[in-house]
Amino acid sequence: MSISPEQTSLSRTFDDDRWTRARTRPVRRRAALAEVALLAALVAATVAAATTDDGWPAWSFVAWTVGMLAFIPLHSVLNAGIRGLFDRSGRSLDEHQQRLRDRSVVAVAWPATALHLAAWIGGVTVVGVSGHVVPALCLGFLLWFAAGLLPYWHLAWTAPDEPADADLDG
Amino acid sequence: MGRQPKGEADRVHDRIAVLRADRGVSRRELAEAVGVHPQTIGYVERGEYSPSLALALRMARFFDLPVEAIFSLDPLPSLSQELLRRTS
Repeated sequence: MSISPEQTSLSRTFDDDRWTRARTRPVRRRAALAEVALLAALVAATVAAATTDDGWPAWSFVAWTVGMLAFIPLHSVLNAGIRGLFDRSGRSLDEHQQRLRDRSVVAVAWPATALHLAAWIGGVTVVGVSGHVVPALCLGFLLWFAAGLLPYWHLAWTAPDEPADADLDG
Repeated sequence: MGRQPKGEADRVHDRIAVLRADRGVSRRELAEAVGVHPQTIGYVERGEYSPSLALALRMARFFDLPVEAIFSLDPLPSLSQELLRRTS
């Protein structure tokens, strides 16, 4: 029986050498910061939309569409930078990778709980104050989404630089 | 499962890089033999990750050496120094 981590199609994708540049600490950190900024901007846009008369003006729809489309390549870079540790099967990770993943999940447990709570409170508050349901749902979704992304950001920010490729062959 | 050392005093020292060079084994080859990713071997060599007991034992078996010849809680003397000490 093999003791090596299982090779899945996802693990092969994330371990591809074409992502080497994304795995450097500056790129990982920039991607994490960009995602935080994007989600913060969407939260601000959603709150601003809730203050309008119709609650869901055309510009907020455009902002959401652009934001979500921008999120796709951004998260691809960030996820490649951390070798997709949160998206891969646990069987494809070795003990060090599992350790990195678990450490980030534990580190953000309390902030993630707070964001989940904020999602409920924020949504209920928006409905209570403005009477608009759509922005309330959007705000709740964004904060819940951010709670799920916290471990990704933590790992992207804190993971050590990987040994250089030249070392791997030596 | 292994862990990341909290500081220099908590570090597990090793001779993996020296042994690899001596035996002409690449990180990738060692990683495949002991069931981890090549990067993990690099982290262990850099002292940024203390391997689990199972991984340390698999490495010892790979190099056909007792585990205490590869890993130590104290800084390991260089192999040449040790050879000199034994022959003098």
